[in-house]
Amino acid sequence: MARFVLSRAVKAVLTVWIAITATFFLLRLLPGDPTTLMVEGDMTPEMQAALLKTYGLDRPLWEQYVSYLRELTQGNFGISFRQIQPVTDILVDRLPWTLLLAGTAFLVTIAIGIPIGVYAAVHRGRWPDKILQAAGIGGHALFVPSVAMLLLVYLGARLGWFPIGGAIDPDTRGLAAYASLAHHLVLPVASLVLVQLGPYALTLRTNMIEVLGEDYIRAARARGLSTRRRVWKHGLRNAILPALTLMGLQLGTLVGGAVLTETVFAYPGVGRLIFEAVGQRDYPVLQGAFIMLAVTVVVANTLTDLLYAVLNPRIRL
Amino acid sequence: MSTSNIRRLGRWRVAVAVGAVAALALSGCGLNEGNDSGESTSGDGSTVLRIGTTTDVSNFNPLQSLSKTDSWILNAMYPHLLRIDENAKKAPELAKDYGYEDDGKTAVFNLRDDFKWTDGQPVTAEDVKFSAEKIMEYKLGNVAAKLTWVESIEATDATTVKFKLSQPYAPFAEGVGFWMSIVPKHVFEKAGDLSKFANDSDWVGAGPFVLDSATKGQRYVMKRNEHYPLAPEGKAALTQVEYRVYPDVNTMMLALRNGDIDLMGNPVPASAAKSFDNDDKIEMTKVGALGFAHLTYNMNNKELAKQEVRQALSMSVDTKAIIASVLQGDAQQMAGPISPIFSEYDNTEIQPYPFDPEGAKAKLSAAGYTDGNGDGFFDGLSFGVACDQSNANITRVVQLFRESAAKAGIKLENECVERNTFLARTKSGEYDIDASQWGVFDNPMDQLRSTYLSSNPGGINYNLLKSDEMDRLINDAAGTTDQAAFVEKIKNIDKVVHEQAYLTPLYVENFQFAHNASKFTGFVASPSDLLGMVTAYSLAQVKPVG
Repeated sequence: MARFVLSRAVKAVLTVWIAITATFFLLRLLPGDPTTLMVEGDMTPEMQAALLKTYGLDRPLWEQYVSYLRELTQGNFGISFRQIQPVTDILVDRLPWTLLLAGTAFLVTIAIGIPIGVYAAVHRGRWPDKILQAAGIGGHALFVPSVAMLLLVYLGARLGWFPIGGAIDPDTRGLAAYASLAHHLVLPVASLVLVQLGPYALTLRTNMIEVLGEDYIRAARARGLSTRRRVWKHGLRNAILPALTLMGLQLGTLVGGAVLTETVFAYPGVGRLIFEAVGQRDYPVLQGAFIMLAVTVVVANTLTDLLYAVLNPRIRL
Repeated sequence: MSTSNIRRLGRWRVAVAVGAVAALALSGCGLNEGNDSGESTSGDGSTVLRIGTTTDVSNFNPLQSLSKTDSWILNAMYPHLLRIDENAKKAPELAKDYGYEDDGKTAVFNLRDDFKWTDGQPVTAEDVKFSAEKIMEYKLGNVAAKLTWVESIEATDATTVKFKLSQPYAPFAEGVGFWMSIVPKHVFEKAGDLSKFANDSDWVGAGPFVLDSATKGQRYVMKRNEHYPLAPEGKAALTQVEYRVYPDVNTMMLALRNGDIDLMGNPVPASAAKSFDNDDKIEMTKVGALGFAHLTYNMNNKELAKQEVRQALSMSVDTKAIIASVLQGDAQQMAGPISPIFSEYDNTEIQPYPFDPEGAKAKLSAAGYTDGNGDGFFDGLSFGVACDQSNANITRVVQLFRESAAKAGIKLENECVERNTFLARTKSGEYDIDASQWGVFDNPMDQLRSTYLSSNPGGINYNLLKSDEMDRLINDAAGTTDQAAFVEKIKNIDKVVHEQAYLTPLYVENFQFAHNASKFTGFVASPSDLLGMVTAYSLAQVKPVG
């Protein structure tokens, strides 16, 4: 097991390094630089050159890369070009909101997706199953911002059940603040869950159908185990493994969805930060945000792998 | 692994996942700790105006910030010498008046003596001198270019400041007066290098409001300055102004309708303005723009360098149809390059080129162009039209231009791309025709210098024009301090640009701002989406209804 953990850890570090490198160079391959947007003001070429020098963008690319890596190893993500503030501070402000949003959406998806997938598998070919299949495939086609705007217009503006954007009413304190937080969280989470749920429930259904046909399930039935025990204890534990991997992979999609969801719902997370920083070509903020998200996804996937290995010892071989 | 182990693992997994998310998130979210500026409306006699904005403040240093949305908040804190009124004219703000001495080589501002910083210190000529000198020293923001001619600055007494110029420049006082923020010397001089000064806490201002707290991604709370002489009662009627961030303008519109905000800082998109029609409490205010939409021709293209071709292109644009379909009729057609909002420069001699594809064809045929292969297009007359695709109106303009130019036998390609790519291309001159919208020109002289001088001082000579005649005309006008003569010279340049068809000016857009009229009244709207309803002067006049 130790060897397995070590190999996974090495792979994770390598993946993060590739992500850092790719982010660094891809951003600089984009047309324009952070001063391009300022060209519309009365900015002379000398002033632009001075700014580029301040940002360190006048140095050769490889030199910028080496110095960036050096700073990174000391935990320094650099200073935002636009906000003149350490990127770490900016990210620390924003990350908890994204974790709260994406994490809640992740858990809600699992909590709803598992029973739906299992139910459809047990009732294979009957109407609940057919509805799930149609809805699951339909869910694939949903576009996060459209879903978000629809929810906002109908449940927020028309019916007035939920607030229009924001993460919390800033004037609330104590318990009321927690209630406000939860209230504001409902629609953004719902839009992410609606988009994620279909693929997850469908995968679980397919695995479940396969597992329920296995010999050991039939043997369990022959031994007189109840349907509930067969399905939920013996069946689900095996069917959930591939679904777990899918969830790990979908974490990336979830984070991508958060960029759009946070923008529509005026949610103050990393996703919105990225949206704003792309427009401003604020390289340090973008690099910091992408690295942090890459690390989140890689860590989640590594943990999934390890969990998988714990649950299914054959993997370790 | 035994069954009991697996069961334990399952519980552990759920517990850790839930715990980690909740703990990490909630601990970081802070839940309004230390955010005590939020006591809301009424009850305690406070009056809070909530304004929607699309982005966070990116830079709190007013000498350095280049962002429109930053300026809404910063301009309410830091006074300017002059402001732009409802009619696009310069009006006094911190300066009572201004003028020139020494044949236009010295600009003199006389300041009011009743402006005070929120820490009780008076605003003096020393603050003005300090602000300008620091901008010049560190080349800060877009004001540095406007101070190019300044040789020295002198504060002769507490309310008089003199800028000595290397040469007369007619709109110097207006440009610097309007654009330059005045900062408190006694606060900013302690910061040392102002190019690295974030100014993100303990704000001291002299506008009608001063920032009290900033919660990034959420809101910016501004408290009233108890001493603001341009407000009717010597201080604003509002006790607090709060900016709330909605990156999506559709969400912001819903928030206004829902009563979460009272005013949208951003204009309502023309296509969405009608959605407020059936809402009695929402009032729309219309203002003109200080910029305009245009098609500008790259003179380095050998075909576009020909006057007949540019004129034929100008005759191939159906501007009236564009205004009707793209802007729902909510815009004014332009003739020359000076916006009609500057009424004193209104040039009755100039009429827009008529939409006349057949006439354009005839002009091109007369110039020797032929359609050898019979494909309906003149040979060699094929151009790309570059634009920023995030500007929906301009993107639509390019589509319509492409269709109407085809009728005149001119083949156009739509080259609308992502904003930064577009700006990078315009910067490097990689385009044939530039379709875009100038943001804000506060006076025609600065506009003409920026867009037509061969030295390209503002980097926005999108024609890449190098014309000795234009240089001479512009420099001559720039040095003219007699107002009547100055106006005539500007009108003449207007005429030359029109005849040469260096650009096809399209329209001046009207902006519509929405606010909740059942709660607040008294806004003084100024032209452009930079100023709109949220200038310091406007916010100082607002009062609650009833």
